[in-house]
Amino acid sequence: MNGSPRALAGLNYLYMLLMMLTIAAIMTAAMVMQYFGGEVPCPLCLLQRVALFGVCFGIILTFRLGDANLNSGLSLLFSIFLLVISVRQALLDIYPRPGHEYIGSAVFGIHMPVWCVLIALALLIAFAVKLTVLDGASARAIPLSDFPALARAARAAGTYVIILCAINLVSVVVQCGFDACHTSGYRLLQAMH
Amino acid sequence: MMVAIFATLFLALLAAWMGRQKIAVACLVLCLALSAGLFLFEIYSPEYGFRMPWIQTRLDGAPPSLARRS
Repeated sequence: MNGSPRALAGLNYLYMLLMMLTIAAIMTAAMVMQYFGGEVPCPLCLLQRVALFGVCFGIILTFRLGDANLNSGLSLLFSIFLLVISVRQALLDIYPRPGHEYIGSAVFGIHMPVWCVLIALALLIAFAVKLTVLDGASARAIPLSDFPALARAARAAGTYVIILCAINLVSVVVQCGFDACHTSGYRLLQAMH
Repeated sequence: MMVAIFATLFLALLAAWMGRQKIAVACLVLCLALSAGLFLFEIYSPEYGFRMPWIQTRLDGAPPSLARRS
C-alpha cells in the first residue's frame, strides 16, 4: 500500500488495538454471563477462551516489541484453533440428544459455539486485511512509542487482557480444581459446603 | 489439565507484556500443545471415537430424480 510509513504504522497499531478491544469486550461479556448469569463454562468453552487470549498474545507482542511475522503468525494460529474447537463443538451439539445440546443461553438467538465460529472467521478476515493492506517493511520499523496516545491505550488494553486472564485462571482453579472440568458447578465451592 | 493450560497462558501473556519474547513464546507453545491434547481428549468418545455418526453424510437411497433417470 502506498502512503507514508508513519501513517501506515499508526493505522496498523490502531487496527490491532481495536481488534484487542473487541476480543476483550467479548471475554468480558462471557465472564459477565458466567458470574452474574450463573452459567458455568464447559471445557470446550474454556478452550475457546484460551484461543481468544492466544490471539491477544500476538497483538501484545506487537505492541511491546514491534510488528513481526511471528506475532501475526501466532495470532492466526490461535484464530484457526478457535475455529476448529468451535466448529467441532457446534457439530457435537447440532443434533440435540441426551447429554449433548447447546448449553448456556443464546445471545441474539445464537449460542456461544456458533458465535465463536463467526468470531474466528472475523479474526481470520481481519488478519488477512491487516497483512494485505496495512503491512509494510518501512512501517514495521516504527515503534508504538512514536504514537504516545495509542501507546497509552495499548498499555491499558494489554493490562486489562492480562487481568482477565488472571481472573480466568483463578476461576478455573475454583471450577475444576486440578482435575477435569464439569459444568455442574464450582468444585472448590462445593467442597467447602 | 485446564489449570495448567491457563497457568501457562497467563505466564505467556505476562512474559510478553514484560518483553521477554523467548519465554513468552515457549509458554504459549506449551499452552497450545496442552490445549490441543485436552481438546482431543474432550471430543473423543469411547463409543464413536472421533466420528460423529449423528450427522448423516451418506444418502439412504438414490434421490427420486436419479432413480427416475436409471
